[in-house]
Amino acid sequence: MLSRTPRVALILSIVAVAATLSACGGSSTGTSSSGATAAPTSNTGGTPQQGGTINYAHNLEVPCLQGGWVEEAYIERQYTDSLVSQVSSGHIVPWLATSWSISPSQTTYTFHLKPGVFFSDGTPLNAQAVADNFYYWTNPKTANGDVDAYLGPYFKSAKAINNLTVQLNLKAPYSPLLSSLSQGYDGILSPKGLARGVNANCDDPIGSGPFIIQTWNHGQNIVFVRNPKYNSAPANALHQGPPYVSKLIWSFIADPTTRWASLTSGQSDVIEDVPTVDWSQAKSAYNVQEYVTPGRPQTLSLNTDLGPFTNQDVRQAFAYAANRQAATESAFNGEIPFDGNGALSPSTPDFDAALENSYPYDPAKAGQLLNAAGYTGHDAAGYRTKDGQELDIKLVYGLGSIVNDEGATLLQDLQQQWKAAGFNVTLVPATLTQLFGGAYAAPTAADATIGYWTSPTPAVLYITYQYWNTPGDPNFSNSTFYDNAQLVKTIAAANSSLNPATQKALYTKAQQIIVNAAAAVGVYTKTTTLAWTKSLHDVWIEDSQGEPVFSDAYFTK
Amino acid sequence: MSAPLVEAALAPHGEGRAGEEPATPPPGRRWRFWRRILFRLVGAVIVLWAAATFTFFVQTLLPGSRATLLLNEQTGQQKQYTAAQLAPINHEYGFDKAVIVQYFDYIGGLAHGNFGTSYEQHQPVLTIIARQVGPTFALTLTALVFAWVIALALTLFTTRRNRLLSGLGSGLEIVTAGLPYYWLGVLLLVVFAIDLQIFPVVGGTGVTGLILPALTLGIPLAGFLGQVTRDEFEKVLEQPFVTSARARGMGDLQVRLRHVLRHAVLPAITLSGWALGALISGAVIVETVFARPGIGNVIVTAAQSRDVPLVSGVVILVAAVYVVANVLVDLAYALIDPRLRAG
Amino acid sequence: MSAISQHPSGLAPVSTLAVPTWVRRLRPGVILATLVIAFFVLAVIVPSLLATNNPLSINLSATLQAPSWSHIFGTDASGRDLYSRVIYGARQSLLIGLGATGIAVGIAIVLGFASGLAGGIVDGVINRFVEVLFAFPVLLLALLFVAVFGPSAKTEIIAVGLGTAPGYTRMIRGQVLAVKDSGYVESARALGHSYRRIVRRHIFPNAMRPLVVIVTLGVGQSIVWASGLAFLGLGVPPPAPEWGALLDAGRDFVTQASWLEIMPGVAIVVFALSLTTVGRYIQQRLEGGITR
Repeated sequence: MLSRTPRVALILSIVAVAATLSACGGSSTGTSSSGATAAPTSNTGGTPQQGGTINYAHNLEVPCLQGGWVEEAYIERQYTDSLVSQVSSGHIVPWLATSWSISPSQTTYTFHLKPGVFFSDGTPLNAQAVADNFYYWTNPKTANGDVDAYLGPYFKSAKAINNLTVQLNLKAPYSPLLSSLSQGYDGILSPKGLARGVNANCDDPIGSGPFIIQTWNHGQNIVFVRNPKYNSAPANALHQGPPYVSKLIWSFIADPTTRWASLTSGQSDVIEDVPTVDWSQAKSAYNVQEYVTPGRPQTLSLNTDLGPFTNQDVRQAFAYAANRQAATESAFNGEIPFDGNGALSPSTPDFDAALENSYPYDPAKAGQLLNAAGYTGHDAAGYRTKDGQELDIKLVYGLGSIVNDEGATLLQDLQQQWKAAGFNVTLVPATLTQLFGGAYAAPTAADATIGYWTSPTPAVLYITYQYWNTPGDPNFSNSTFYDNAQLVKTIAAANSSLNPATQKALYTKAQQIIVNAAAAVGVYTKTTTLAWTKSLHDVWIEDSQGEPVFSDAYFTK
Repeated sequence: MSAPLVEAALAPHGEGRAGEEPATPPPGRRWRFWRRILFRLVGAVIVLWAAATFTFFVQTLLPGSRATLLLNEQTGQQKQYTAAQLAPINHEYGFDKAVIVQYFDYIGGLAHGNFGTSYEQHQPVLTIIARQVGPTFALTLTALVFAWVIALALTLFTTRRNRLLSGLGSGLEIVTAGLPYYWLGVLLLVVFAIDLQIFPVVGGTGVTGLILPALTLGIPLAGFLGQVTRDEFEKVLEQPFVTSARARGMGDLQVRLRHVLRHAVLPAITLSGWALGALISGAVIVETVFARPGIGNVIVTAAQSRDVPLVSGVVILVAAVYVVANVLVDLAYALIDPRLRAG
Repeated sequence: MSAISQHPSGLAPVSTLAVPTWVRRLRPGVILATLVIAFFVLAVIVPSLLATNNPLSINLSATLQAPSWSHIFGTDASGRDLYSRVIYGARQSLLIGLGATGIAVGIAIVLGFASGLAGGIVDGVINRFVEVLFAFPVLLLALLFVAVFGPSAKTEIIAVGLGTAPGYTRMIRGQVLAVKDSGYVESARALGHSYRRIVRRHIFPNAMRPLVVIVTLGVGQSIVWASGLAFLGLGVPPPAPEWGALLDAGRDFVTQASWLEIMPGVAIVVFALSLTTVGRYIQQRLEGGITR
């Protein structure tokens, strides 16, 4: 009897495999279509239906429902309003602030607020509340890391002139101010709610926005309910008044196959981070939108402070050695744009397009640069050596938080190409906890990291290139640890410039310095992609950070 | 799984020898049996305490500073802080006390039923676990039921029939017992939920969403239980009392059901106690594959985010389940074992 | 618990060829299983012999291709040949499996013998310790380890080894107890042989005999556990072709390029199955159960 058993077992396994193969073996090679940056559009159709629940599937869960991470700004957009809204770069429209005036010195901004707006806890949204928020954001004990990064160096004071007029005083002119205030991080929170302490504002923050947080089911979803008293939509909203839908369920589905399948099976109405391999099907069967986030793109930040990358020749060799453009197109099936300008993303104002093709793929040139840097030897494995020391690069990336699976494939592709050039690159995936734990924040931790810093304005350069080595307060946002006095002065001058043409020239110069020094090597853009069912209308992506907006969305039969 | 491993599991608490059943009380001396249960419970408390201690100290080994993590999560940044900046949080959470003091605080709290507050979710650990434990239990119990049904059906109908059927049954058991959960789960998800759309893709807490995950856990277990039961079944089929039952004219199926089954399932019942604990490990993976709520997700997130109270709480819970399951198995064994009854 | 098979006619077949007995007793299934194991062992020792491509070299113009003659198992999202990755992955996976089983059995021998031979308090303490380990889900133990020591092959080996040790400990302890009270040990004692000699001559070899089977089965189990860890993203960092990591990567393409998920899984299942088959066969031979 025993003789049959193993044989049958083996046959069964083969049969099972064959059956499964025939059932769902489909091969598809990725289609390539150009990823355009689409401005938010309204695709109205049919009469708006009141009620209904939007099931939205996001690709990750955040640790707090408000904070300085762009993923938290996406959520904050749902339950707060900001002072102003950005339609496109340079075009700011009223939101909570119906009008504003700027002093000739550009150091005082006076905002006039909309009357009759209340937070969901019943307290009024007035000038004092706004002033309180400014202090909360810039107070180191409670700070919102993003707001503080923009505003902190320039913030002098905020004062309520009267019930609906708030005055903001700056230390120096800062023309990116309004743009930065339009982001989700700058959503106005209830001061009474803020007084409950940081933990309460992490789990259950209170705003005046179109939706109210009902429950946060950790590991599963956030349930938002409609704010029936909502009357403070921005001027560029597709309708004024409360949302049409009564509920928004924001689920976390990390697995891309499951997330896509939840859309195709109807369990989700909207999904984010559409797997690029399904993008062409998404375009034909669903409404889609793609938004290229401005700011710093997904860039390789090279450690200029410690290790092999302190040498500019080695950095430039690294940039030439791998075909970043081909790898981006392959890993993302042509859907996510390549960005060769490591300083800024193409959708950022004053983006210098001439830098897009800096460091094209040129292994020969990479080899020459490595020779010039002294890496003339080769070891047994084929890696370059200098005085017997192998050229080892440790590249850390936040898998599942900063970089998705497709990005991880891209890094592996680059790793092979770097290997051919003589770099021994070790890829180190980091968890969100390790990143937030500060494990990879200092120069001792890695030779290169990859990550974005989303921003609606080129003022992000001030954040990412302010001196790392400031005694007593190192700038951890400077992930290249690149301290260049000329660069810092140029950016500061640009931030405070009163003349748009001069400002553009200064920001351009800053980008050139960064790219020429190869401190940051550009790879791809941080992109928000949404796909939603055709019975749902007026879903749009706002302009400052790519936050998905559901307050105008409605179902039709 | 093999016979020796099975035998090891059959002697769950170290008493008894390989090849023998665990010591059962002679008929009529039930009180000795209950005393054994009492000792078992005392041992259980020791086990729980040891598990909590072990978990606590392993987590003190975790690299990095919890205060930095908490502060960064509040502000949404990735930076490092000076000791002065971290001092308020360290004080608030008691991180500035010596490790041994923190440990005694924790154990003291446990003794009073206070499992602490989760660092990440800012809620009592017991509340979090209570909320998430339901779906996992539903999953593991359903999986166990499926496993039993499949294993019994296979054993009952294919043991010692004709050569092809026996071979097929046995082969099926061996193959399924070796299937990795995650692989089986992904394949089931793709075929039945995505392609055929019979079941939902994201199950949530509904009944239809329970079927595929429970099958994923249950099928490999069925293979394992089936093998064990089949071996026992075959042995029992050769016993004299079965032959005499057949000689009395009893039908084959009746013989199997009434006489053989009761003996044959004994090892599998004992194993179910162990299996319940092992299923929880499997549930971690299955809940990830099917995006289901439950303890599995809690474990993974808590372990990765260094949420010490929550991890410890889950460990204690799982250990308690394991211990209770084994006690129940002993009881069930005593109820079912005909030798106990007969006396 | 071994099933003794019986020829329907009750007679043993008569061999007409001058073939050695052990060859006659081989089953075709067992032969197949042994060949499979040999194949994978070869893959561990000399992968370049069996692989068709370099497992790490990418080809961006040939990504996600279905199985074909040039790529037996197809290619992945970087254009890497999946068959070669499975072959090279055998080394990592097998070594993790062997390492974990080795650690588990090592711990089990120490604890099981100490517990079985010493008895009394030592036995009690070790039993409680084993209970605690038993109560810990293997996966949770592994998660904690990875969180502390970072994901790597070494961490996986230790974690899975620790997690599977309790079962082996119990088993060895049971064997030791059984042998300790057996007839020949009693007579050896009566003959006045020294304790150490009894342990060395009788207890140790007899208690260890089932280990052969255990190791074969345990290796398969450990491989499955380790790849479970990789599936959760806690395994060896990419681009290592460890089987669990291949399954984790293949999950993203399971509807578009299903071979990426199916093939590594089949490799694991087939290998574990072969180990089980050979293990059961050896077990039955050792118990003298085969008559046909």
